[in-house]
Amino acid sequence: MLLLFALPAIAQKHTLSGTVKDKSTGETLIGAVVQTDDKTAGTATNEYGFYSLSLPAGEHTVKINYVGYTEQPQKVTLDKDVTLNVSLVAEGKQLNEVVVSSKAKNENVTSSQMGMNTLNVKELNALPVLFGEKDVMKIVQLLPGVQSAGDGNSGFFVRGGGADQNLILLDEAVVYNPSHLLGFFSVFNSDAIKNLTLYKGNEPAQYGGRLSSVTDIKMNDGNDQSYHVNGGIGLISSRLNIEGPIVKDQGSFLVSARRTYADVFLGLSPDTTIKKTKLYFYDLNAKLNYKLSDNDHIYLSGYYGKDVLGLGSLFGLNWGNATATLRYNHIFNPKLFSNTSLIYSDYTYKININTFGIDASILSVIKDWNFKEELSYYANPDNKWSFGLNSVYHTITPGQFGGNISVPNQPETHSWENAVYVNDHWKASSKLNFDLGVRLSTFSVFGGDNKFYNLDKNGNITDTMQYGAGQIVETFATPEPRASASYQLNESSSLKAAYARNAQYLHLLSNSTTSNPTDKWVATNNIIKPEIADQFSAGYFRNFKDNTYECSIEGYYKAMQNELDYKDNAQVLSNNPIEPQLLFGQGRAYGVELSAKKNEGRFTGWVSYTLSRTELQINGINSSNWYPAHQDRTNNLSVVAMYKLSKKWTVSADFVYYTGDAVTFPSGKYTLDHQVVFYYTERNAYREPSYNRLDLGATLKLKEHKHYSSELAFSLYNAYGRENPYTITFQQDPNDPAKTQAVQTSLFRWVPSISYNFKF
Amino acid sequence: MKNARIAILFIMSAFCSCQKVIKVNLNSAAPRYVVAGNVTDQPGPYTINITKTIDFSQDNTFPGVSGATVFITDSNNNITDTLTEGSAGNYLTHTLVGVPGHTYHLDIAVGGNIFVCSSTMPQPVLLDSVRTQKSSFGKNIDVVPYYKDPVATGNNYHLTLKVKDSVSTEIYIHNDDLINGNEVANTLFNNIDVKTGDSITVELQCTDHKVNQYYDNLQQTIQQNSATPANPQSNITGGALGYFSAHTVDRKTIVAQ
Repeated sequence: MLLLFALPAIAQKHTLSGTVKDKSTGETLIGAVVQTDDKTAGTATNEYGFYSLSLPAGEHTVKINYVGYTEQPQKVTLDKDVTLNVSLVAEGKQLNEVVVSSKAKNENVTSSQMGMNTLNVKELNALPVLFGEKDVMKIVQLLPGVQSAGDGNSGFFVRGGGADQNLILLDEAVVYNPSHLLGFFSVFNSDAIKNLTLYKGNEPAQYGGRLSSVTDIKMNDGNDQSYHVNGGIGLISSRLNIEGPIVKDQGSFLVSARRTYADVFLGLSPDTTIKKTKLYFYDLNAKLNYKLSDNDHIYLSGYYGKDVLGLGSLFGLNWGNATATLRYNHIFNPKLFSNTSLIYSDYTYKININTFGIDASILSVIKDWNFKEELSYYANPDNKWSFGLNSVYHTITPGQFGGNISVPNQPETHSWENAVYVNDHWKASSKLNFDLGVRLSTFSVFGGDNKFYNLDKNGNITDTMQYGAGQIVETFATPEPRASASYQLNESSSLKAAYARNAQYLHLLSNSTTSNPTDKWVATNNIIKPEIADQFSAGYFRNFKDNTYECSIEGYYKAMQNELDYKDNAQVLSNNPIEPQLLFGQGRAYGVELSAKKNEGRFTGWVSYTLSRTELQINGINSSNWYPAHQDRTNNLSVVAMYKLSKKWTVSADFVYYTGDAVTFPSGKYTLDHQVVFYYTERNAYREPSYNRLDLGATLKLKEHKHYSSELAFSLYNAYGRENPYTITFQQDPNDPAKTQAVQTSLFRWVPSISYNFKF
Repeated sequence: MKNARIAILFIMSAFCSCQKVIKVNLNSAAPRYVVAGNVTDQPGPYTINITKTIDFSQDNTFPGVSGATVFITDSNNNITDTLTEGSAGNYLTHTLVGVPGHTYHLDIAVGGNIFVCSSTMPQPVLLDSVRTQKSSFGKNIDVVPYYKDPVATGNNYHLTLKVKDSVSTEIYIHNDDLINGNEVANTLFNNIDVKTGDSITVELQCTDHKVNQYYDNLQQTIQQNSATPANPQSNITGGALGYFSAHTVDRKTIVAQ
């Protein structure tokens, strides 16, 4: 590898490098394109706004481009390495501006990356929302190959993977539970977020640890030019965001907070039970950044959020994430960029019980300390290398008991996840691009108070073992090759293909129909093996009318090993050892994703359709035959449309249709102890009714003042009041005890909302 | 942890939820035998009930299975009682006397199947009292039985509640994992509208561990919260659904205050 640094320059070349920013806010722009005016050489800014481009010595005109901003040509004379920092001016950007794509106009065609979507958070403004709360994760669910975990739920499934197979990063920190309020809101406050990138299993080698996808979310840095306050007042929540310079052009801060107050309304209820119910969440994002010198930049960002749920003094459940990221960017030379991060992630829930003669609490925590180092080496215009290492120490506290219960604590488990990787972004010719990389990941599980088991064929415990604290019990290593290629057929169309292997060492156990804050993370051990996925994909990308329309078709096949499912009657939240309650096997997922998108003009939006299948084969379930995974949905259609009616009004709509989940319904019934009990035969052999929903939205821009602008956002969620299944249960007919019936529970019909957003 | 689920479901219902009866096409399945039987420390006869599963769409009449050969053996004194069929599907003991500490073997031969089970009757724990109190939720009256868990570990409890003539369909189980040796006050949440003056009967059964697990599974099956619903793990081998339990009984009847 070292040889690469020593490659001699063939012709006399110099490097142009620098940072691209928004002129009015000072926010760095991710993915801005820097290109010579003859388009023979070009690059894009990285996630810190940095670019580096090596060009022959001489005079050049480079153009700097970012969608929604005025293109800026710059003359440079390259007789030595030159630093060129550029500030772009937004094109009359307003509060309700709709920008669908943030990257270069034909990036989707030219880049070798596939199975990827980028969202600019401004896209959210015009779209309809549930309860008046903008949510990036709800928009992600409208992308091809991505499916909602349920009505109103911010959880999602990517290409057949489970909800725990998505790596969700906020400024590089893992967010273990990305949802608030039982899943109806995500933890991401859109005021604080700059950019979201979703990789659907074909992520570059710098990412790892989950099978299906990576959602990489970057927080805003804060305006380093002037102070600003913006916020929103909605029916159930309010937001406030404050940002400004610490030292102009040198450093800035951002603080963004949000609080729901649905529980205030609960207090008005005449029902004493509802009155005593507590139900709210709040969260806080904060970020500081400071430019120490032209080559050194330091960032500190953090998130803290908490949900509080309680029933009088009988029962309480609090949960929340905390993350912190300390990041140091250093430019060694115009070709070598370094990012060093120290990251902390924590997800905690605490249950308080004061009933059944018990006054006690249960505390559960997953905590990570994470060190990352990445070097980007812009070797020459055709090769950009990334090298890195990543080391994470996980501590899982499954259950720590307090109060008057006589139970030993469930012992902590400690584990250590490491990875090294290298990736080359290689422009082999003007038509052929490659991303070639490999990640070597390892996972070591430590001994301590926690016990390890040997199981017999039937899953009964035969031996119980314990190892010394700090002693490595077992280490797993997985080489994860990643490769993608694109061949450009002409200016506006390309063919792409990719292969990637991903390994996952932490697994979420959740044997329930709804997502729960108490779902349990477990680490790989001698029985629970690393999950491994191999994904092959290929696609055709075509743009029309000067990149106004982007169309693509992608197909994928994913083979998965060591997938887990539950034995009959498994109770993952019990104190009993979990290993005997699990079964392991293989999975496969395949599908075709069609997408058409209009990026510019008064009318924008997209249509995405996915035809797919996801199946599992696990010995001990359904006679060991292949069976559909719960999230197997054959058809999935999303339509998103936004129309700028006038200077004041923007209207929008989205429509979603998908096949019902594969579920287990009874195939018979019997009587026992004076009641009717349902009889089950096969797992996931039935289907819920299909899901469909139309949402409508409108935004009205109010009179603009010199330093103050505001808007009203109206939404109608589930506009035609479709009763979508949330759960289906079976019961004795209350009117005719001789009969049994199926009852569908639906949650949200015609949910209107209004919110007032302001900025000054 | 079950409280978490109850609370979450409760709060879900506070959202704008609505329910409707829908038509679901459910397959028909080959019938399976269902056995439910008890031996208690109260005077017999004790009953073993044998039925079969029926299709979901059929009416709720579950014909008893006649013609089975049923034995129960007290393995502590090797006395075997051959049961005789009373009403269709109900097989009754003659001489068997349930004694705490004894293990009972059940043998059934029916339709070419052999079903076998054994269950050990634990030592009894008695109810200290049963009281009623105003519910912390709504306007209901809660029923609270009080008893003291013995010092020894491994006690499993199954409680039943009868208000006037209606038997609560809730499953009340408890064990001493969290509260060994403590005074227990178990509120029996129910959806029966209990009124002052109603006659209330609470039965405290001490069961063996497998039976307790069966009821725990049955509760999960009935609640229908699991993403992988399944039949409760029977303690009977040979492929029958249901359970066989040797348990003690202590009963108290009070008037709701």
